[in-house]
Amino acid sequence: MTTKKFTISQCKDSHSISFNAMASPCEVIVQSTDAKLVGALAQVICTEVWRIEGKYNRYDPKSVCSMINTNAGQTVAIDEETYLLLDFAEQCYQLSDGLFDISSGCLRKVWSFDASDNIPNQADVKKQLKSVGWRKINLNRQSITLQKNMEIDFGGIGKEYAVDRTIRLAKQTTQKPVLVNLGGDIAVTGSRHNNTPWQVAIERPDVDIGDEKSADMIVSLYSGALATSGDSRRYLLNGGQRYGHVLNAKTGWPITHAPRSVTVVAPQCIQAGILATMALLQGHQAEQFLSAQDVKFWARR
Amino acid sequence: MKSSTPNKNIKAALTVASAALLGTSNTTQAQTAEEDSWQFDSAFLFYSEADRVSAGEAIINAQKMFDDEEILNLKLTVDTLTGSSANGAVAQPNVQTFTRPSGNGQYITNEADTPLDDTFKDTRVQLNTQWTKPLASNYTLSVGGHLSKEYDYLSLGVNSNLAIDFDRKNSTFSTGFSYFYDTFAPEGGIPKPLVSMLIGDSDTPSWDVNFAQTRLTNDEIKTTTDILFGFTQVIHRRMIMQLNYSYSMVEGYLSDPFKIVSVVNSSGLTQDNIYESRPDSRVKQSLYAQSMYHFESNVLDISYRYMWDDWDIISHTIDSRLRIPLGDIWGKDSFLQPHFRFYQQSAAEFYRPFIQEDNVNGIEYLSADYRIGEMMAYTVGLKFGAVINGKNELSFRLEYYRQTPTDGGYESIGVLSDLELYPTIEAIIGQVTYSF
Repeated sequence: MTTKKFTISQCKDSHSISFNAMASPCEVIVQSTDAKLVGALAQVICTEVWRIEGKYNRYDPKSVCSMINTNAGQTVAIDEETYLLLDFAEQCYQLSDGLFDISSGCLRKVWSFDASDNIPNQADVKKQLKSVGWRKINLNRQSITLQKNMEIDFGGIGKEYAVDRTIRLAKQTTQKPVLVNLGGDIAVTGSRHNNTPWQVAIERPDVDIGDEKSADMIVSLYSGALATSGDSRRYLLNGGQRYGHVLNAKTGWPITHAPRSVTVVAPQCIQAGILATMALLQGHQAEQFLSAQDVKFWARR
Repeated sequence: MKSSTPNKNIKAALTVASAALLGTSNTTQAQTAEEDSWQFDSAFLFYSEADRVSAGEAIINAQKMFDDEEILNLKLTVDTLTGSSANGAVAQPNVQTFTRPSGNGQYITNEADTPLDDTFKDTRVQLNTQWTKPLASNYTLSVGGHLSKEYDYLSLGVNSNLAIDFDRKNSTFSTGFSYFYDTFAPEGGIPKPLVSMLIGDSDTPSWDVNFAQTRLTNDEIKTTTDILFGFTQVIHRRMIMQLNYSYSMVEGYLSDPFKIVSVVNSSGLTQDNIYESRPDSRVKQSLYAQSMYHFESNVLDISYRYMWDDWDIISHTIDSRLRIPLGDIWGKDSFLQPHFRFYQQSAAEFYRPFIQEDNVNGIEYLSADYRIGEMMAYTVGLKFGAVINGKNELSFRLEYYRQTPTDGGYESIGVLSDLELYPTIEAIIGQVTYSF
């Protein structure tokens, strides 16, 4: 579990609020020298992020997510927020023609992406695939029913959702420019003072070289959000074939020939995140997919 | 794989879906800066030495960054130089007459005044292009071209630089190479070294023939080859260090055709003025160390350069700047930057403020140019900058420069002891820079 505390530091005309959530380092930058305001904002934002984390973290036995999963086979009552998130996930499932599926998480039981050549056999994959498929899930505004042995997780949307939620809260709290960065998923309330952009460095997820990391691209963000999908350090190698960690929910096998990471700019972080993930799921056609969406993006191969 | 949903609709559908999820109208648009637009910087600089040279300089710099992180930089500089410059001769208790470098006419220096050639008037146009491209993940290559033209001078140059990052870009090793090819064709030609300046009436019929006899050729060439090795290291998040070593080899015509040396008798009275003579090669080496330290808000930048060459010139330069952010009081991100620079150099082995007539025979190299003599100089200045209109940076710089040449161990003789041979030079530098 992450420790629930935040630290505030000042740099020039801005304050930075740092904390840990969703297994990632998080940072909020407020362009204000008003320490009282920053303290209040830190409280509001951290409370919201930790609330979402506590509600949808599948590793937390007390979370709504765990409650749904442990009661697979039975109908579980859900609140409005959970319904809206699940409904959004359903639309992503449909829009991606079943490639993006929040019930595909159990495939990770047979796939461990540890850079080894540890490829599971087809029989094991097939067995797990029986527990995958959004179509088998029954969702309505009041409840959700998973089939036995099924599991869902909010990994692909939870963090981005938290970014958008906190941006909303930040806008309600202050007029000052705010940037929210939850482990690389970023959104801003607007441009910095005097209509200058936020300079966001995107890290190249460098491959094969231990912890080699480098910020190698700067994006100027006036408004909206950006999200990155892909993690080049999680893969398997077998017979010269590289298997990235993005799994095709329909076949149970990793998507091949996908970019190592994709960064997308969109008005909402959750849109940016889903577009980036969907692009990865297109494999070698990722760039083509994003070009057709007419969004600003960067794909690294 | 085939998608049953036409790809194009996904973004629109997601917009609706995320609006439903977040309860927003979703009218905001994500905007990023157009990375393919040009960034322009312009600057106007004014430099004025008391009673001597004045220079005005206009610079426009255009930079374009491409999607693939390639950068093209174009810089156009136009400067004009007017005024007078010391011709190398010593002051005398009497009026002195000198011939203009072109051979067309004379100029007169009053008693006790430092002889200044007032014919300096030139306009220079300079174009620099630089293309920077990441080669591989940690390799950046930069190549450039240089063209500079003034009335009597043409300089052509190429350069390249390779930077290699390692240790998560905390360290950068760079190596650079540049080559310049300069052609110098002064009006009146290149004078013969150590030959007497012809003084007389330039309207007499024999003048042109006699003047031509003091001339070597119409033009001369100089080449410069520079090699640089640099190492930059991030010490910690507040401090960065840089170390450079450079080796520079200059070959060809290195004398200044406008400079002369006074030949004096034992009483210090000028008997003759002869054209200077410098070796046809010079090897310069330098070590440079720079450190930038970021305090809570201020940034301190200190550098030291040690330069030595095979003409026996050794110089030390200490340069320091302190950037003090003023917050948004005088415009966004406004700052003040005090600047202090100290420079000290020893004289070239063939530098003489003047030469006694008995010592002229057998001499090979000789120059009285104060710029290669012993001297000390300092600059103090202040720069103010701010962002206006949201994103355009405007800055003003005002500096005072003072150069104090010293005798370099050469004692004055006779009447020279009562004259000011090493006048202090003062200059004011003003600069306005605007980025858009």
